[in-house]
Amino acid sequence: MVKVYSITQCPWCDKAKKYLTSKGVEFEVRNIEENEDYAKECAQISGDTMVPVITEDGKNFVLGFDKAKIDAMLGI
Amino acid sequence: MGIYDFTVKTNRGVEKSLADYKDKVLLIVNTASKCGFTPQFEGLQKLYDAYKDKGLEILGFPCNQFAAQDPGSNEEIQTFCKLNYGVKFQIFEKGDVRGENAQPLFKYLVAQKKFTGFDESSPMTPILMDALQKNFPEYLKGDDIKWNFTKFLIDRKGNVVARFEPMITPESIAKDIEALL
Repeated sequence: MVKVYSITQCPWCDKAKKYLTSKGVEFEVRNIEENEDYAKECAQISGDTMVPVITEDGKNFVLGFDKAKIDAMLGI
Repeated sequence: MGIYDFTVKTNRGVEKSLADYKDKVLLIVNTASKCGFTPQFEGLQKLYDAYKDKGLEILGFPCNQFAAQDPGSNEEIQTFCKLNYGVKFQIFEKGDVRGENAQPLFKYLVAQKKFTGFDESSPMTPILMDALQKNFPEYLKGDDIKWNFTKFLIDRKGNVVARFEPMITPESIAKDIEALL
């Protein structure tokens, strides 16, 4: 399952989620502002607290709303 | 009613009494978007790094009432937002800082330190005045917060000793903070 680490009031997170939906990709939203465990996970993956972070395996990730990189990582 | 009588919520929804900050020097700031061009965060973090150990706490209150900029306007530059803007000081729950629905803390702060005008010598003043006149002319009246990054300085006894308008940079108020530490 694809995970989208995000925060509330984040237009780039919203764009990333809309994009994934438009491509028919199912994903789980993990809000790092509301959940400290998710915040730690996100920091482990990307080394920072920037969002959106999109990942499927928890290792490879795309930071920010970058369609080309998202497509490449997810093979869509 | 003093500053230590207020209770606010952190950005994770935890209630926090300002009485927990007794004997600290406080800088209370209404902050802006997590994603746009918000250069003052860096300056605030520098103040925090420099004076935290001497007793300074910075309290940031996000507010969307001054959202004149489309978050998409920085599209070429960055496509991400940052939790707590990358700052280490405490960020609180988003809420209004002016008008009828303003958080009580901000109603108190502006009653303690009224609006006495903008710094005429700052290059930001004409830009801000223009934006206010075009988008929010009513904001220019009265003592309420005029724009993002209005800063209130509170001494160790809880007295609101100074109000700095948005164009006054964090760097330039270091001496005012030092005087209270």
